[in-house]
Formats: sequence, C-alpha cells, structure tokens
Amino acid sequence: MRLTLQMLISHGRVARKMGMGPQSRINMLRNILTGLVRHERIETTQARADEVRFYAEKLVDYAKKGDTDEKAMKMASFWLTEKDLVPKLFKVLAPRFESHPNGYTRMARIPCTQNLDRAKMAVLEYKGNPFPPIYPTKKQNELTLINQLLKGYREERAQLFAAKS
Amino acid sequence: MNLAALVHSLRCSLLRIESRLLQAAGLDRHLAPALAVNGPSLLPQLQPQDSIMWMAVPKKRRTIEVNRTRRRCDSKLLKVKTNIEPCPECGHLKQKHILCGFCYAKVRKETGQIRYQIQAMEGGPLRAPIEETVVLYDGETAGPQDKDKRIVERPRKRPAWFSS
Repeated sequence: MRLTLQMLISHGRVARKMGMGPQSRINMLRNILTGLVRHERIETTQARADEVRFYAEKLVDYAKKGDTDEKAMKMASFWLTEKDLVPKLFKVLAPRFESHPNGYTRMARIPCTQNLDRAKMAVLEYKGNPFPPIYPTKKQNELTLINQLLKGYREERAQLFAAKS
Repeated sequence: MNLAALVHSLRCSLLRIESRLLQAAGLDRHLAPALAVNGPSLLPQLQPQDSIMWMAVPKKRRTIEVNRTRRRCDSKLLKVKTNIEPCPECGHLKQKHILCGFCYAKVRKETGQIRYQIQAMEGGPLRAPIEETVVLYDGETAGPQDKDKRIVERPRKRPAWFSS
C-alpha cells in the first residue's frame, strides 16, 4: 500500500473502530444486540451503545416486515445469536412498535462510579419495557398554590367567554 | 684497583636509590601498566559523528520564576466545571447531560430485583416468552390491558417513582 498522508490523518472520518477489526466489531455489536433484545435494558460504554442503537432500530424495522419475509428472517437469525429471541422479536417487539415510525430506543448517560477504569457508560433500552423508567416523569401536583390559582383564573376566563357569547 | 668498575657500581647503586626514592614519592614517569592483557593495539577513538558529543544539554539553570510560569500555565491548571446542578428529585448533585447517580441506582436495584423474579419464573436459560411482561406490586390486580401479558409479582409496595 502507498503510505499516503491521508492514511495517517483521520479528519472527517465518522465510522468508529471497535475491537480487532470490522468482523470483530460486528460480532461484538451482535452480542450486545442479543443482550438488548433479551433484557430490554442494558448498560454498556457510550460508544458501543451509540453503535448498537442504529442496529437495534434497523432490526425492528426488519421485524416489522413480518416473519414470513425471507430477508427479515435471515437478518433476525444472523443478528440474534440466541435463537429463542427470534420469535420474541417478531411477536413482541414488532407489534409493540407498530404505531411508532422510528425511535424505538432510548439512550442515557450514567455517572461512571462502578468500573475501575472509569469508562463512560450509557444505558440503552427499548421503549415500552416493563422496568421502572430511567427518566423520572414530572408529576404535576394540582394541589399547589400556583396550580390552584391558575385553575381559578382559567375557570373565570371560561365563564366570561361563555357570558359574552 | 678496578676504579672504573667501582665508580660504575657506585653510580648504579645511586641511580637505583634515586629511582626507589622517586617511586616512593610517586614522581617517576615510567607509566608501566598495572595489568597487561592482550587486546587491540589501537585504543577505540571517539568518532566525531558519535552522539555523546552532540547531546542536548541545558545551558543555564531555569529560574524559579520561569519554572512557576510553566507549571502554572492555563493548560495545566484544573478546569472549572460549570455543568453541575442539583437533581430536582433527590437533591444530589449531577451533571447536566448525565443521569442522577442516586436516582439511577434506585432504578437499577429495582430492575435487578424484577429480573431475579423473571429468572425464577423462567426457570432456566434461553426461555424467553413470546408475550409482553408487566410488573405488579402488592395489592394490585391485572387490569384489562394486561390480558395477554406475563405477570411478574413483586412482594413489596409500589415505589413512588414507578408509576404504572
């Protein structure tokens, strides 16, 4: 190979390198994806979670085609190394995301306290999983003073509007 | 009678005494080697292109002022993080783009307990079910939307941060 300067400089190259080469990267992502489909919520490093996200969403897109489709079945059986997850993918995950056009996964960063090498970790999950939510939903309390005042104001406005018309 | 011989012998003895005295004083210059071994006849000469003559060496001592400016320059000082804020739920500090450690630890623990229950229900590896899962706590019954789902019972009160 010609040792050009372009080979040493990586300006603008967006593809990530993982493991010991492209084949190793695909195998690693396949393992992580199998774990995600089985457990529906996993913790990995941020880079791996980001990579797997793309493949997870593409896998659900293929699963939506239905299990009679040959290409979809081939993809599912390649990407899921544990074969009892293939029916789960087609019968559980595909109907769950029928109404969603895209965005089946959620990724959030975690503070790195557990691991020895302080690697940046992220949690990746499929939406609609049975576990408690990682983002706490803000509950609007009706009984706070401000909310009661606003409620009264809205009612008065509605009464005035009704009286006028 | 042999005067020349006598003078010669005297001269020799005097020279010997002189050399012995010089040796004792250390002023003689014979330079005889203490140990003689077989070796190359020429001593290895240092060529002018050898590195020992061209090594970089500091010319002057760096003063403490110069040292201080180098050690305390902007790139070596610790950076101040301005993205730390208190979590609105628990009040522990968190970074803006990262989940709160305390809240996530609670969620993680509960997830672990639910998974333990699921493992006990499945009874072995590679037995993923073909239906959805729903988690029910103490005193809760399955509603109409939980018709076709596998129910996982957790023997405790529902935590406040896990609304169904």
